[in-house]
Amino acid sequence: MNVSDAASSALISLSDVELSLGSGPARVHILKKVSLDVGAGETVALIGPSGSGKSTLLMAMAGLERIDSGRLSVGGIDLAQQDEDGLARYRGASVGIVFQSFHLIPNMTALENVAVPLELQGRRDAFSRAEEELRLVGLGHRLTHYPSALSGGEQQRVAIARALVAEPAVLFADEPTGNLDETTGKQIADLIFETVQRRGTTLVLVTHDNALAARCGRVIRIHSGIIDGAEPVRSAAE
Amino acid sequence: MIMLARAGRFALRELRGGLAGFFVFLALIALGVAAIAAVGSVSRAMTEGLAREGAVILGGDIAVTLVQRQATAEERAFLEGEGSVSEIASLRGMARRTDGGDQALVEIKAVDGAYPLSGMLEVAPGGVGLDPAKPLQALADPELLTRLGLSVGDALDLGAARLTIGGTIASEPDKLATGLGFGPRLLVTRQALDAAQLLQPGSLVQWSYRVRLPGDADPLAVSARATERFPEGGWQIRTRDDASPGLRRNIDQFTQYLTLVGLAALIVGGVGVANAVGAFIDLKRPVIATLRALGASSRFVVAVYFMQIMALGAIGVVIGLAIGAAVPLLAVRLLADVLPVGAETGFYPAELAIAALFGLMTALTFALVPLGRIPDVQPAALFRDVSAGLPARIRWPYLAAAIVAAALTAGLAVFFAYDRRIALMFVAAIAGAFLLLRLVGWLVMRGARMAPRPRSTEWRFAIGNIHRPGALTASVVLSLGLGLTLLVAIALIDGSLRRQLTGAMPDNGPSFFFLDVPSAEQTRFTDFLAKEVPGGTIESVPMLRGRIVSVAGVKAADLKPAPDQAWVLQGDRGVTFSATLPRNSRLVAGDWWPADYAGEPLVSLESRVAEGLGVALGDSIEVNVLGRPVTAKVANLRQVDWESLAINFVMVFSPNAFAGAPYTVLTTLAYPGGGDAAREATLMKDAGRAFPAITAVRVREALDRVSDILGQLMLAIRIASSVAVAASVLVLAGALAAGHRRRLHDAVILKTLGATRRQLVAAFSLEYGLIGLATAVFGVLAGSLAAYGVVAGVMKQSFYFAAVSAVGAAVAAVVITVALGLAGTWRLLGQKAAPVLRNL
Repeated sequence: MNVSDAASSALISLSDVELSLGSGPARVHILKKVSLDVGAGETVALIGPSGSGKSTLLMAMAGLERIDSGRLSVGGIDLAQQDEDGLARYRGASVGIVFQSFHLIPNMTALENVAVPLELQGRRDAFSRAEEELRLVGLGHRLTHYPSALSGGEQQRVAIARALVAEPAVLFADEPTGNLDETTGKQIADLIFETVQRRGTTLVLVTHDNALAARCGRVIRIHSGIIDGAEPVRSAAE
Repeated sequence: MIMLARAGRFALRELRGGLAGFFVFLALIALGVAAIAAVGSVSRAMTEGLAREGAVILGGDIAVTLVQRQATAEERAFLEGEGSVSEIASLRGMARRTDGGDQALVEIKAVDGAYPLSGMLEVAPGGVGLDPAKPLQALADPELLTRLGLSVGDALDLGAARLTIGGTIASEPDKLATGLGFGPRLLVTRQALDAAQLLQPGSLVQWSYRVRLPGDADPLAVSARATERFPEGGWQIRTRDDASPGLRRNIDQFTQYLTLVGLAALIVGGVGVANAVGAFIDLKRPVIATLRALGASSRFVVAVYFMQIMALGAIGVVIGLAIGAAVPLLAVRLLADVLPVGAETGFYPAELAIAALFGLMTALTFALVPLGRIPDVQPAALFRDVSAGLPARIRWPYLAAAIVAAALTAGLAVFFAYDRRIALMFVAAIAGAFLLLRLVGWLVMRGARMAPRPRSTEWRFAIGNIHRPGALTASVVLSLGLGLTLLVAIALIDGSLRRQLTGAMPDNGPSFFFLDVPSAEQTRFTDFLAKEVPGGTIESVPMLRGRIVSVAGVKAADLKPAPDQAWVLQGDRGVTFSATLPRNSRLVAGDWWPADYAGEPLVSLESRVAEGLGVALGDSIEVNVLGRPVTAKVANLRQVDWESLAINFVMVFSPNAFAGAPYTVLTTLAYPGGGDAAREATLMKDAGRAFPAITAVRVREALDRVSDILGQLMLAIRIASSVAVAASVLVLAGALAAGHRRRLHDAVILKTLGATRRQLVAAFSLEYGLIGLATAVFGVLAGSLAAYGVVAGVMKQSFYFAAVSAVGAAVAAVVITVALGLAGTWRLLGQKAAPVLRNL
C-alpha cells in the first residue's frame, strides 16, 4: 500500500519501517510499515497534517530516531546497525540538517557555528571553508556576529551554511521557512533549492507550505504514519 | 588528545556566555575551600610559630620539671654541666590588698636572676622589670591590678611578704610552657617567694629548670643523657623541638574539627553544585542536542561540559584560596592577645593545595551525576517539546565515577585527619545523613502523593507541587537538612557542655577548695571555718603528689593504657591516704582496709582507671611520691561520683603507706543550703587575713573560668559552623531559584485560569512550609542523635537536650525556607501573563 518510487540507485532506502515513541500505555505507534526509496540528487517534500509522522520519518532518516523494525539505509549505511556514536559519525559525514527553529549555538559566532561540523571531523580548513560557505549564503559581512545579533532570515542562512559546509550527500530540512515571514521564507527556499541543485545534494524536506513542496521533484503525503500517496507519480493504490 | 583539545576549544567558546547562573556554584566552592584553606593556614602558622620559637616558649633549649621538690646538688651540677641554667618555681597563692579589702588567687612564678634564658620579658610602659637589688618587687598581670584596684607602685601582700608592684607584664615569653592557670600571673623573685613563706613541705609547687645549651649541642642527646643518669628522678623533660606538646595536640585536634566542619560546608555546597550543574545542563539541552545532531559523539559533548564545569570549579577554588590565604593575616592579628604563640603569617602552599584538592574533588563528585545525563539528551529533542526536562537516567559509568570520586574525597579527608577514627566517623555520618535525607525526600513526596485530596485549592496546589515530577522537595530537603542537622548538633553539644559546667553544680557541692593547708594548721583552720560558717560541711583530706612508676612490674613507659585513661600516667597526680572509704564512692571489687591496718601498703583504685590500665586486684603499683618510691598492692576498686565535686582521688592509699611523709591538706567547704557570692567573698577576705599562706579556690570562679575558655572554643566552632550553615542557605536559595522557571510557568497558567495572587502566595507558602517542616523534624532528630553520639559516646559526658535551641533552629529553618521561596516567587506573581505565555 505504501508507495516506493523505486529509483534504481536509491540513496535512501526504507523498507517496512515501524517506529513507536514513548513507553508503556503512553506508547504511540507513529510509523507503520513505511517503505520509500529516494534517489541521489532527488528533491523530496514530506507533507501531511500535524502528528502524521512526517517529522519522525525525517528524524529516522537523519539518524536522530531509531526504528523498531524494518530496514533503513542511507548511502549504503544500515542505520539500524549503528550505535549512538556510529549515528553521530553518520550525521557528521553524510547528512546536513536544517531546523525550523535554527538551533544555532548562542555563544558561538556565525563563523564558529558553521565551522562546527568540520571541526568535529578534525578538518584543518574548518574556518576557511566555513567562511567560504557563509559568503555563498550572502553572510560574508556577518562572520563574527553572534546569533542574537542576526535576523531570523540571517540565522536560517547560517543554519543552511552549517548544514551544507561538510558537503553532505543529503540535506534534511524540517519546516525551514516555518519561522520566517513570506519574503524571507522565499529567499531561504531559493537559497536551499539553488544550492542543492548546484551541488547535486539530495533534499528531503518537511513542510506545511504547498508552494514550497511544489518546488520539489516529488511530494510524499503522509497520514497517520502511512505513506498516503506521492506526486507527481501517484501510487496505483490511490 | 586531539579530541580533548577540540573539546577544550568548544568549552571555551561556551564559557563566553559568562558566569550568569553560576554565582551560587562559585560561592559554594569558594566558601568551602576558603574555610579549609584558612583553618589549615592559621593552624600551620601557629604550629610553625611553636616550632620556630620553641626555645622561647620553653624558656630554654631544654626544660626539666620536678614536682614538689628542688633539684638535688648532683642534679643541678649535671644540668650546669650541659649549659647555663635558670630555676623557676610555680605555685598558686593568694595576693591580698594590704588593707585586707580584697584578695585574689594568683599563679605565682618565682624566677632567678638568669630568667629569661630565651626571649624577652616585656614590662608595660611606666613599670620597671625585676631587679635583684630590689628583691621584694613583683610584676603582675594587668588583670590582677584591675581586680584588686591597685596600680603600679602600690604594695600587695603575698603570704608573709609585702611586695611592691614594679610594673605590669606586657609579654611573658614562656607563658605557654607554664600552662594556663586559674588566676592571673604574679612574677616574683626567689627571695620574695622565700619571704612569703609559702613553701611548706608538701606544697603544690613545681620546680622547673631551663637550660640554654651551647650552640651545637643536641637537646635530645642531653635529654637522653639526663634520663639515663637519673632514671628514678621523676624528671619531666621537654626540648625546644616540642616545647608545648599539649598545645600542639590541641591545635591539631581543633584544626581537624574545623577542617571537618569546612569539609561539611563543601559537601553541603556539593548539593548546590549538583543543582547548579543540573540546571546548567538543562539550560544547554538545545545546544547539546544541536551538537549531537551535527555529529558530535556523546563522549565529546560530555567532555565539553565537563571541562566547563571543572574550569568554573577551578575559578571557585582560586577565589576560595585567595580568601583562605588572606584570613590568617587577619586571624593572627585578632588572636595575638589570646594566643601567646608568635604566629607569623605566611603563605602555606601545602595547606592551600589540600583545600584546592578538596574543592576540585567536590566539584568533580557532584558534577558527574548531572553530566551523566548528557548521553541521553536525544538530538530528536530539537524537533519536540523542549520543556520536557533532563533525562532522569544517569548512565552507570558516570554514577560509578561519582561514587569513586566521593570515596576518594572521603579517603582524603581521613588521610589528612589528625584522628582518623573521628574523621571516619564524620565521613560515615555525612554519608548516612545523605542517604537518610534522600529517603526523607522520597517519603515526603510519597506522603504527599498518597494524601487525600484536600478541599482547599491552596492546599491542593501545595501538596501537588510537593510530589509531582520536577518538584523541589528532594533538593530542598537535602540542602536544608544537612545544614540544619549540623546546626542542631552544634547547639546541643554546646548546651550539654555548658550545663556540665554551670547548670550541674550540685546543691550541696562545695563552694571552696582550700589548697596547701599545712598539716600542722589543719585543726586551727577547720575550727576557723566552722566558726565562720556555722553548719557548713567541712571536709579535709591529706594531699600529696605522686607519679605512677610501674604497674604489676611493667614500667609506666611500657604500659599500653586505653586512650581515655592514658592521662593517669602523664606526670604527677594528686594522691591521698584514708582509713575509711571516701564519700561519694562505692566499692565495686575487693574490701576496704581496717582503720588500724598496719601491714603491706595498700591502694584503692578508681574502677575505670583500673580497667583502662589493665590492673587487677592484687597487682602491685609503684608510685614516686616526693622522690620516694612507694609500692602498694591494689586492695579494692571504687566507682566515684565525680560530678558531686566532693574531694576524691584516683589513688587512695592505706594511711601506713605514707607514715611520716610531709603533706598538706586539701579542705573543702560547703555552705548549708548553698553559698552566695557575698558570703563567699567575705569568707575569702577573712580567711586570707587569718591564713595568708592558704590558697582559696572559689568553685564558682573556677567553673566560670573554664566556661569562658569553653565559650571561646565554642565561638570558633560556631564561626566555622556558620560557614557550613551559610553554604546550606546558599544551596537552598539556589535550589529554590532553579525552580523559579517552572514556578513562573505555573503561576502564569494559574493566573490565566483565574487564580488570585493571594491564592498563589498561600499555595507556595504552604508548599515551602510543609517541606521545611518535614526537614526540620528530621534535622532536629538527626542533629540530636549526632550530638548525643559526640557528647555521650566520644566525650563521655552526660547529654542534655536543650529543647529551646533545637526547636529554635527548626523554626528558623522553616521561616528561612518560606522566606527564600517567597522572595523569588513574589516577583513572578506580578508578571503579566501574555508575554510569558507567548514564550512558553
